Amino acid sequence: MWFTNQRGEEEFTGGQDDWAGAARLASTCPYFNPDVEEEFVADDPVSCYNCRYRRWSTGSFTCLKKDKA
Amino acid sequence: MKIFVSIDDTDNIESRGTGELASILADDVEKKGWGISSYITRHQLLVHPDVPYTSHNSSMCFSADVDERSLMPLISYAADFLEKESAEGSDPGLSVAVAERLKDPEALIEFGRRAKQVVLTQKDAYDLAQKLEIHLTPHGGTGHGVIGALAGIGLRLSGNDGRLKGGLKIGAENSIFSVSDICAHPHVDAVSSMEGYTLEPEERVRMGDKMKTVLMGGKSVLLVMPSGGEPGDVPWRTCPRQLLKIF
Repeated sequence: MWFTNQRGEEEFTGGQDDWAGAARLASTCPYFNPDVEEEFVADDPVSCYNCRYRRWSTGSFTCLKKDKA
Repeated sequence: MKIFVSIDDTDNIESRGTGELASILADDVEKKGWGISSYITRHQLLVHPDVPYTSHNSSMCFSADVDERSLMPLISYAADFLEKESAEGSDPGLSVAVAERLKDPEALIEFGRRAKQVVLTQKDAYDLAQKLEIHLTPHGGTGHGVIGALAGIGLRLSGNDGRLKGGLKIGAENSIFSVSDICAHPHVDAVSSMEGYTLEPEERVRMGDKMKTVLMGGKSVLLVMPSGGEPGDVPWRTCPRQLLKIF
């Protein structure tokens, strides 16, 4: 589910449109924490795409809690 | 007179969002009797490794109809507010523009568009703000939020960028409303398809959950899509949130 980008950060392999994958990951993540409402993009509230610890990259996102999970 | 107020880069990973600060500020404009505030729009700016941002790199903007005498107290209050309320480690910026005094609105709109596409500098922002006589000030940290704050006004002014802050609740999920009933909501001006067709007042729409409107053609627009053609169903349903992320 993750690859190492050119900056050495781990990015989600599903990009920004893998709604099912991002929801599946978040559903088992102990660090999932919903972002503020205006930053929600997924319809499923429990999704990495709606998490306050995701940092958008050009084509996907990195997770600020990835190393801790 | 109509003004635009925009703020950016006020939050950090654990704090309340820039949108909440914009909401408080918009409410305070009314509480202090300075004027009437509009809805708040959220504008996504460029996500790029060379753009430092604390949380999302999105800016928040609202317009307000205010008395001219209120302008300077409002700017002073907003500046103090950002310095007190912005999160540790953030780089807040504030911009305030008076619509009728804008010398070159197209230049401001273009700045907003460029802030979504290329890396801009604080100097770019200050130079344009000075040229157009727009208030632009930093309020902590590196002050890098001035770029997004100025871009936020340009994008709001464009009338075709951003999602409105806050969810829209009209009836229960799966309930059916006419367009005229939907547009009776104070934050909905029109109902349109993604392709740009504006629905007629009598057309009917199936409501979704957690709906949002977007800024299109200078209006707050609820976007809809064909419902799928099930027998007995109405032709339209509201777009799911994930289709709105392009705004």
